[in-house]
Amino acid sequence: MTAEPAPAQSFAHRGRFFNVLGLAAKNAVLTLLTLTLYRFWARTSMRRRLWSRTWIMGDALEYTGTAWELFRGFLIALPTFFLPTIFIINIAPVALDPNLAGWLLIGFYILVVPLLAAARYLMRRYQLSRTRWRGIRLGLAGSALAFAFASWGWTILQLVSLGWYTPVSRMNRARYLWQNTRFGDQPFDVIKDGRSPQHGLWWPFALGWFGFIAATFTALIAMGIVVAMFGFSGGVDLGAGGEANETMIFAGVAAMLTGALVFLLTLAAFWTPYNAAAMNRIAALLELDGARFRLRVKTIPLFFITLAGWAITAFSLGLLAPFAGFLQVRYVMNRLEMIGQPRFAEIGQAIVPEQKSGEALGEAFDLDMGVGVI
Amino acid sequence: MQARYADGRAAVTHEATCAIGPDALTFEHAGVQHIWLYAALKRADDGNGAVTLKRQPDTGERVMLSEEAANALRLAAPALFTPQARGVERKRVVAGVAAGAYALAAAFLLGVPMAAGPIAGVMPEPWRARVSDIAWQQLEGLADYCDSSDEAARILNDAAHRMMNAANVPDRDSIWIIIVDARDFLGQPIPNAFALPDGSIIVTDGLIGLAEHPDEVIGVIAHEIAHIERDHVMKNVISRLGAGVFFDVVFGGSGIGQAIAVVSVGLAGLRYSRGYEAEADQRALDFLDAAGVDPGGLARMFDHLRAYERGGADAEADAESQADGRTRVPSLLSTHPDSAERAERARARAQPGLAPSLTAEQWGVVRRACAAAPPTPQASEIVEESGAVGED
Repeated sequence: MTAEPAPAQSFAHRGRFFNVLGLAAKNAVLTLLTLTLYRFWARTSMRRRLWSRTWIMGDALEYTGTAWELFRGFLIALPTFFLPTIFIINIAPVALDPNLAGWLLIGFYILVVPLLAAARYLMRRYQLSRTRWRGIRLGLAGSALAFAFASWGWTILQLVSLGWYTPVSRMNRARYLWQNTRFGDQPFDVIKDGRSPQHGLWWPFALGWFGFIAATFTALIAMGIVVAMFGFSGGVDLGAGGEANETMIFAGVAAMLTGALVFLLTLAAFWTPYNAAAMNRIAALLELDGARFRLRVKTIPLFFITLAGWAITAFSLGLLAPFAGFLQVRYVMNRLEMIGQPRFAEIGQAIVPEQKSGEALGEAFDLDMGVGVI
Repeated sequence: MQARYADGRAAVTHEATCAIGPDALTFEHAGVQHIWLYAALKRADDGNGAVTLKRQPDTGERVMLSEEAANALRLAAPALFTPQARGVERKRVVAGVAAGAYALAAAFLLGVPMAAGPIAGVMPEPWRARVSDIAWQQLEGLADYCDSSDEAARILNDAAHRMMNAANVPDRDSIWIIIVDARDFLGQPIPNAFALPDGSIIVTDGLIGLAEHPDEVIGVIAHEIAHIERDHVMKNVISRLGAGVFFDVVFGGSGIGQAIAVVSVGLAGLRYSRGYEAEADQRALDFLDAAGVDPGGLARMFDHLRAYERGGADAEADAESQADGRTRVPSLLSTHPDSAERAERARARAQPGLAPSLTAEQWGVVRRACAAAPPTPQASEIVEESGAVGED
């Protein structure tokens, strides 16, 4: 009966490779067969599977959301998000004065930034409110609007600082999200440990920032090599006829693909240390009723998990993205530890009200590709 | 039998001794006996190996069973060990979702073209003008206006207006032909003609270069006039936009959803386009008949286009490609009906012996519109004809 025994360590993920892959494949087939309308059910079943394999001190998490809630959220998004968007993008350029239509479009793209942040916040609120441990519900208090506009400001600062504000921005977002996160009636806290919240992030970030430039040059060099290889083989001859032109197109496509691949690989290699450092730092600052957390994400495994996730997602056209998410969730959960224990007997049932329907905006932006944003 | 009980009020579990009865699970906690009827229970574990029960509606209470208790429960309440007890949807739900998806898609595929006509009919003139402006902006990125084509365009416009007068086409004063130089990204001329919502007909020099006789170009122009007369351009814009928005919204906006949306819109677009093309072909033959122009020219142009689609504009390439079945655009995926069928329909109404629609001199000017094509040998034959049909 106990096929997957409850582990003794504080956090563990016991999702099995083929068990999750099987569900992801079944969901992929049904999603295709139903012209993607099954995606609400697919998302729900995958979350149920991933949550239920996450063990915390011997008891598993539980996902209680339903597909109908997600579907209802989608129906709510139709008139509140999709219709205005369709009007601004498709109808206004024809129906309104071109200047007005242009300003509307610019306004829309400016508003999309806080809208995305709000969508992510509301999605997290829904998912937390549908997550239970020992029957106690999690939740997210706070205002999605306040988060959206704060996030907007941080994004602007990131832009004007050519990206150098990113570590501060990331920690600010994490602080807002976690200080409003509740387990039952107990809030999480982001502590001050006497050091800057961004402590340990600057060098990895600088590596990523300069890595972006390096990735661009590496990709250009790789593209040049591919084109040169075609040239040396006599394939590219601008003076020749149709067949040479076709070879030229082939060389161009091969160079573009090689360039994109090299760019992504290099970028991932340079950014992963920052991502690992940021995840570990955020976990180190969290506290729940006196209990602290420690995450030991390492760069090289995270790099390969990230690459595997990209490959799985790209080659399956997003259909197996939840499986890619599972690999990451499993890795992170298995490297998470709790230091000390909260007074569980003192933690009561959640008082943050539940949402009736879920993820209207998150679904519209397809923010989590079917896994979860928690 | 051993179990743990979480009361839903605090994040702790309590050891409890439970009994698995025929209809209910009973256990005692804090001096209170709990009776949980199987019929009102669900699983909370999704098959992770540790059977956990919850009540419906959810009170937050949980019972985590020992292995022994779980085995006993499996015998007493097998329904709690079905996928549905864990929240997995029934097959009929999946069937319903699939049926709903296909019904929605079908309704839209049928409904969009039906609604496109009435919508196009009430579309305000400024909206129509802006659609034209957008079309012109897109055209400017693809083709260059031929500076030396004014005389050729005047000749084609004269011929077109003679034909429209004869066929009594409404609003014909707004219809105007323009010759452009359009090339693909390899620099090869694109043989094409198309109509814009403002009544402009764009003829590429590639199409003129493909023609061997003026009636072939005039046949294509008749086809484009029919598109304008029937407002196919606006209907097509509305249909494609409607289908695009529908599939993009309903079937998700990224990953495979985007792919399905793109393919669906493409297929829907083909369906609409083919209907409009067939209708325009029919009307074009009526116009040509009315103007006394031989529809055989249109049939020959379809032959040329077929040869072009098959990979070569000359007869040798045509024969070769016919032999190996090679085509540039599979008929099933073409926006136009099969060229061979269209050619046959036009050929069935051919009237050999009619005078050509342009004089040899005029045809020579048209052939040199963008200085792309030299006069063809057929031009000398045209000189011997009696003159242009319907010329005032």
